[in-house]
Amino acid sequence: MGLFQHKNTAKKSLSDELEEAEELLFDAAFRDELKAHGREYIERVLDENVVLFKQDLDATVAYINTELRQQVARQLDQQMADINQVNAELRDHIATRIDEQFVTYTNTMKEAQDKALASLEERAKKLEEQHDQLGNVLEKSFAYQDAMMTNSVEQSKSKLSAIRGAQEAAVQELASSVKALQDQHAQLSQMLEQTIVNQEAMMIGAFEDNMSRIIEHYLVAALGEQYDLKAQLPAIIQQMEANKQAMVDDMKL
Amino acid sequence: MNEPYVHFVLPLSVISKVEVSRLLSELERVDDEQTQAAVREKVASSAQPQLMVSRQFADFLAQNKLVINTAQERAQLIKQLHLLKEHMPVIHMTFAVDADRESLTKLTQWVRTSISPQAVIEVGLQPALIAGVSVRTTNHIHDLSMRGVIKKNHGVLVKELEALRGNR
Repeated sequence: MGLFQHKNTAKKSLSDELEEAEELLFDAAFRDELKAHGREYIERVLDENVVLFKQDLDATVAYINTELRQQVARQLDQQMADINQVNAELRDHIATRIDEQFVTYTNTMKEAQDKALASLEERAKKLEEQHDQLGNVLEKSFAYQDAMMTNSVEQSKSKLSAIRGAQEAAVQELASSVKALQDQHAQLSQMLEQTIVNQEAMMIGAFEDNMSRIIEHYLVAALGEQYDLKAQLPAIIQQMEANKQAMVDDMKL
Repeated sequence: MNEPYVHFVLPLSVISKVEVSRLLSELERVDDEQTQAAVREKVASSAQPQLMVSRQFADFLAQNKLVINTAQERAQLIKQLHLLKEHMPVIHMTFAVDADRESLTKLTQWVRTSISPQAVIEVGLQPALIAGVSVRTTNHIHDLSMRGVIKKNHGVLVKELEALRGNR
């Protein structure tokens, strides 16, 4: 069907007849067979071409690899040569610069060493002078310290003796204080005993006084209403008679 | 009546200063009544009323032989009684019991006989005295009571107690 699809027919009727013939000739089974055949053919062609293409591709890749390797090697050799040249130039330049710098540094170092030596000598001289001065000062200081120490020792000795004297005086004072305390204690004990005796006497006196007052109150309560004035009158007049002169003298005043 | 108050004799029925004041009041009342009666007598020619006085006042007039018929006599007596009231001696007597009139009269008699004829008594009461009397004159107190005796003999009581303590 595909192979003859675009074939023009001269006449309609003929074409119709052809079509009919085709339909009769090219039935479905035949078409399927043709399809299978074509497919097989195409697959075979494709397989052949693939193998060829693969071979070509492998050869091409191998060639390219070789060429590329060679090219890279050449390029690398060239680069290495360039680098070596540059390195040599650079080494020369650096060596030259280093030499120059070394000369400069050597000069500078020499100057600096000279200056340092001069400075060191000067400092050494100053240090020697200071050492001499310090020695003098130390000698003076030692002498002063010696005098001070001697003086301090003497003062300490005198202070120690004074402290010892004060301690002895304090011990004596303490001993006298203890004795005074003992005396005071004895006096206090005596005074306390005396006070207790006095208190006892006072309390007994107060008790007796209160007792007498109690007795007086008892007498007042017991005898207060016992006597009328008529019964007392002779005694009253008698007592007034006894005090008559004093009354007269007082009333005359 | 020219007798000054210093010569007045107080009757025994007049014991205290209050009673002297009562005499003075009574005299002033009598003077008023007499004066009014004299005026009424002049106006209405009515009879003079009978004079009514207390026993003390009558005794006072009688013992001092006083006449108070005229207004001048009465005025003089009033003046003298005022002076007497101000200057008469007063003796304060405090008793342990109530003082009866009879006893006070006897005491007044003794006071006027022994001390001053114009003395009066001011009576007080203090049961704490137990018995006896406490006499206060112008400047002194004479404690003649049993309490005074006990107080005076307080030492004796204390000695007795001390002796009792010593024996114990």
